[in-house]
Amino acid sequence: MGKKRKHSETQAVEPKKKDEGAPERPKRTLMGWKDKEEVQAQTDSNSESPQVFRNKEKVMVTCSRRINYRYRHLMLNLVSLLPHCKKDNKVESRSSKGATLNELIELRGCSSALFFECRKHQDLYMWMARCPNGPSVKFLVNAVHTMEELKLTGNHLKGSRPLLTFSRNFEKDAHWKLLKEMIIQIFGTPKEHRKSKPYHDHVFVFSIVDDHIWFRNYQISVPHNESDKMVRGGLDKMTLVEVGPRFCLNPIKIFAGSFGGPTLYENPFYVSPNQIRALEKRKKAGKYAKKVKAKTRRKMHEQSNPLEPDEFADMWRE
Amino acid sequence: MGPRSKDLSLLQVENNVEDDADDVIDDASEEEESESEQEDVKLMEPSKTAIYNREGLVEKLEDISWPENVDWMHKLCLDIDQEKEVDVNDDLARELAFYTQALEGTRLAFDKFQSMGLPFLRPPDYYAEMVKTDAHMQKVKGKLLAQKRQIEEAEERRKAREAKRIAKEVQAEKLKERAKQKKQEIEEVKKWRKQRQQSGFKDGKDSMPDLGFEDGKAFERSSKKRPGVSPGDRSGGKAKQGGGKGNNKNKKNREFRDSKFGFGGKKGMKKQNTAETTNDFRAFNKGGAAGNKKRKR
Repeated sequence: MGKKRKHSETQAVEPKKKDEGAPERPKRTLMGWKDKEEVQAQTDSNSESPQVFRNKEKVMVTCSRRINYRYRHLMLNLVSLLPHCKKDNKVESRSSKGATLNELIELRGCSSALFFECRKHQDLYMWMARCPNGPSVKFLVNAVHTMEELKLTGNHLKGSRPLLTFSRNFEKDAHWKLLKEMIIQIFGTPKEHRKSKPYHDHVFVFSIVDDHIWFRNYQISVPHNESDKMVRGGLDKMTLVEVGPRFCLNPIKIFAGSFGGPTLYENPFYVSPNQIRALEKRKKAGKYAKKVKAKTRRKMHEQSNPLEPDEFADMWRE
Repeated sequence: MGPRSKDLSLLQVENNVEDDADDVIDDASEEEESESEQEDVKLMEPSKTAIYNREGLVEKLEDISWPENVDWMHKLCLDIDQEKEVDVNDDLARELAFYTQALEGTRLAFDKFQSMGLPFLRPPDYYAEMVKTDAHMQKVKGKLLAQKRQIEEAEERRKAREAKRIAKEVQAEKLKERAKQKKQEIEEVKKWRKQRQQSGFKDGKDSMPDLGFEDGKAFERSSKKRPGVSPGDRSGGKAKQGGGKGNNKNKKNREFRDSKFGFGGKKGMKKQNTAETTNDFRAFNKGGAAGNKKRKR
């Protein structure tokens, strides 16, 4: 098999027609993998499109041990936002992290994963990966506000499908496009998922500002009476209330394999938080030495430029 | 391959995989704080060793992406233009940008839904599990109400202060007015007396001054706010005050004791140990402690 299997294809419609001259192996419906005459036969026999695309995405959400309470709440918030996810236990491993995670994902039968890794109880890294051999991205997460904050007052149906909005600069370059595709697949609820609810009452915002991906989640609130009709001018009265959570992602690296593999992209502006902290410490470190040096410098300066004798020095006779 | 944009010419570095840790640290020394909310620092110049494998990225993109003719309903993704650059550190502008992006997106999506005739909004009688519990929403509501109340109270306090100040000024004015009036009247009486003195007290009635209190107006008692106080009361009216919320059945006792034992007022003939007062038990408890005190009742 030259091409990799897509996660999505199933022939839910009209299996009978497939039997006529159809080989045993599963059809590659939308990628044109069939022979030409089969395509003809199918398109002739069915009036509507036979191929049904079903989004069978399943995301596995886990975290590492020693995760902070704030980040744990963030993870739980995301679990409640994605009805197509499966939450798993904490992952211990230090070495061979990639292999362990890949195994876990296979075990649960998921196709993607969100892994939250917390280092030193302070920094949160988020991995977004496609399981079998898809790309994976590592992000540094900042500016976390969870849904429990009382200032975020909105609320929406649990499991309703979100509208995903992206800012235009996701089209600017290849790595942003790849990230956009991964985000759509992971954060978009599949259409006929068991746990999904029918209406669309919230919207996700992914926007690139200053080379970071900012995430916001708003509830759509419109004063209206019936379900699909809208009061005249109701569109203008539509308001968005923030539901949360909020976070900001800083992409560090993109790998070709899942949790490993050759690096496809490295963020040139990224500085690890450890380095930042080290720099700060170094700045504060030499305080005393600097003071001493400043003193000697002052002395030298005074010696080299002697003051003129003061005219009024003996004005007040002591 | 997508079009290369000029912005990323900085990022377009060689595909070297040489590991140069010192380089990164040197670059790191020229950092600046880029966001205040996060302890996030950016390098001023891009690190030279950053890998950018454009072909690999595009290849992976093609691998994972869904087929081209997938319904928009599956993806539900909208691309919104960002008109202007937003400064990351300006919180308000940044959040406003996100809000407008979301609003635009929702409008577009809504139009699409209407054209497809699909339900979009939640009907008000559709009850299902929400992402935040009801208890949590109660807390949110409580906080909002508390905030509103705080603001209102602050407003009220400010208004009361203003009103008090104005009232005080008005009162001062009134007092001044009254004092002036009084002075004036006294002056007039003095003048009249002088006048009469000078003219020798000869006439009886025809040069009475117009003093104003023979206009027919009855003598108005000033609107005293303390009706219980007589002019000779040295306690200032406080003798009868207080204890309104206390025990009223002991009032008679109290009254008697007050009149007997103090609070100023006219002294002298009040506190005397005479024959009448020796047997005067009005001040004592009427049979309240009769019997054995130790026996529980």
